[in-house]
Amino acid sequence: MQLDFVSRELTIKLVYYGPALSGKTTNLQAIHGFSDEQTRGRLMTLETRDDRTLFFDLLPLRFRGEGDLSVRLKLFTVPGQVIHASTRRLVLQGTDGVAFIADSQLSETQNNARAFLDLKENLRFHGREMRELPLVIQYNKRDLPQTRSRDEIVQLAQKGREPVFTAIATQGVGVLDTFVALLHLTWLSLDAAHDLSGKFRFNSEALLQEVITRMGARGTIDQFLNARLGGQFEARRKESGQ
Amino acid sequence: MKRDDGLEPNLEDLTTTKNIRLEDLVDRDSLKEVITSFVNLFGISVRLFSSEGDLLADAVEQQEVCKVINEYPDGRAACTATISTVKHTVPDPTQDTVHPCFSGARYHIAAITYDGRYVGRIVLGPYLPAEVKELPGSLLTTVREAPPSRLQQLLPQMPRARVETVRNIAEHMRGILDLILFSGHKALLTSQMHLASVRESYRELQDKNQRLQDAYDKLKELDRLKSNFIATISHELRTPLTSIIGYSEMMSEGIAGSLTDEQLEFVNTIRDKGEQLLTLIMSLLDLSKLESGSLALVKSDVDIRKSLDDVVSLLKPNATKAGVQLHVDVPAALPTIRGDANRIRQAVLNLAENAIKFTPSGGQVSLSAKLAQQVLDDAEDDIGFALIAPTRSVIEIRVADTGIGIPENEREKIFTPFYQVDSSSTREYGGTGLGLSIVQRLIHAHDGKISVEPNHPKGSVFILKIPVDLDA
Repeated sequence: MQLDFVSRELTIKLVYYGPALSGKTTNLQAIHGFSDEQTRGRLMTLETRDDRTLFFDLLPLRFRGEGDLSVRLKLFTVPGQVIHASTRRLVLQGTDGVAFIADSQLSETQNNARAFLDLKENLRFHGREMRELPLVIQYNKRDLPQTRSRDEIVQLAQKGREPVFTAIATQGVGVLDTFVALLHLTWLSLDAAHDLSGKFRFNSEALLQEVITRMGARGTIDQFLNARLGGQFEARRKESGQ
Repeated sequence: MKRDDGLEPNLEDLTTTKNIRLEDLVDRDSLKEVITSFVNLFGISVRLFSSEGDLLADAVEQQEVCKVINEYPDGRAACTATISTVKHTVPDPTQDTVHPCFSGARYHIAAITYDGRYVGRIVLGPYLPAEVKELPGSLLTTVREAPPSRLQQLLPQMPRARVETVRNIAEHMRGILDLILFSGHKALLTSQMHLASVRESYRELQDKNQRLQDAYDKLKELDRLKSNFIATISHELRTPLTSIIGYSEMMSEGIAGSLTDEQLEFVNTIRDKGEQLLTLIMSLLDLSKLESGSLALVKSDVDIRKSLDDVVSLLKPNATKAGVQLHVDVPAALPTIRGDANRIRQAVLNLAENAIKFTPSGGQVSLSAKLAQQVLDDAEDDIGFALIAPTRSVIEIRVADTGIGIPENEREKIFTPFYQVDSSSTREYGGTGLGLSIVQRLIHAHDGKISVEPNHPKGSVFILKIPVDLDA
């Protein structure tokens, strides 16, 4: 998080993490596609010739915000391939929240787990712990055959405490739910740490509503948050407030 | 593990657009080319300013009417004032500013933004709006001295455009600039990320190297301790052993009274085994001294012919007993080498002893020496190796046997301490497994080389190469 007191501007950094080819860039592309002209910046992709992410993708988004604060979001993806470990570490530095994009295909179960442990290790490198990081999990590629069943994911999700969503990022399905939930969690955590709503009369509900509207979607914040298959938001709020 | 030396690049600083400056991302010469093409297309002058008001590029067509106005002091003052105002006007990012000139012309000022931030402005003009048909009063009153007919003639030469058209031109130019800025920013980020990644990988490598170095230092220290330990223990073992051997010798010689045959046999066994143990301990001591580098060579001019003759005379009884023929072949004129005669003899003796041990009855063992050239294979470059490979003069000593031979895949390993080709051979042939590793270290101490080749049709040849000009 960066807070510019002069221009009253808050910059929040969110990272889309996950194994190679799980659809992190596709998530950003979908969000870019949803956003209106005033909100979105250009999606910057630093990619190799074969369309694989080399360093990262960066999508800047701007919101008016509420109260005395305008909000900029910087959405990053990391390169999923194993060899880009050092780049992942660099991108992860100073992140305010992470969306973990998992591949639903049964064959990718191991890679999901490996990428998650990699995330944990890289966070630790930066002196941070997984449990204090706002995190949502997305099971992407629900349209493919040979995937983990929804029942199985629900069962897994209810055991864990981070919100879990399902998605078909190529069709934009589930992308916004994941994004709104991540932003919500991140806000709770930042607010608990820095008392942003107190200092700047900032209303996070209004921000989330603005996000939803500017993404051309309809529905209440709760409708988006309730699309989760498990996990808690309130638990996070209490813990962050400690 | 987190570093706080400030070397770690911060992605936040790299990706923020807060400090983005137009002049950092665009090449001024290329920028001038782009706006010149606009001027060629529309005939309206273009100036580009940074957010701080510095002129970054311009393509200006001097208007005839402006030249005339500037010929008069009042006109020049008014013109300068107008241009100064235009230059310093900061436009609203959401709406372009149109600034009128007393001549009836207009300036169009448009903001350039990147990622929603103001980074500079475009100034288009002067141009004459389509609706200006006659000389405006403000022009006539400002430059009273100028003949109106001349102004009347020149003003219409100024490029005419509708305000709406100029706005579209500005919009188009803004679009192109935005693309240039984006590409520039992307290239900047890519190169910085590249650097950051390389730096991070380098740091990782250095970490690993440090860990390896630490482990290596620790091992070296352990190795030194081990050598010391062996040296000390060997020494301590040798002292009582000498007494055991000495007393059993005295007993067998009957100094303490005569012994029965059986007693004599037992005592002799004690003495034999004691001597065997002593040899092992001496070898261990040698090896540890060689390993720790504490073995001092007593150097003199060594006559190899004499060394080989000594070995042969020492081993003749053994060879005869084993039914093995022992040959020696040394040319008459062989230069001496600078080295430790005892140690060289020890090395050859060890090899010859082995050769006899592993050669069945009826076979032969031959010792030979000759002067040879050794090609050093540690040349720095293999280009032109045939021409520039360094060579040196060596005495080549060969110990050949017709024994059981050494399998090819074992030839490297036999110099390892305690290694034996076939552990069952220890029982059959005896030996400690230290001999060859001691020989190898002795030869290395002489800056020499040892290798082993198969003998034809059977057996092995051990080849020692010891440099002649050791001190040269």
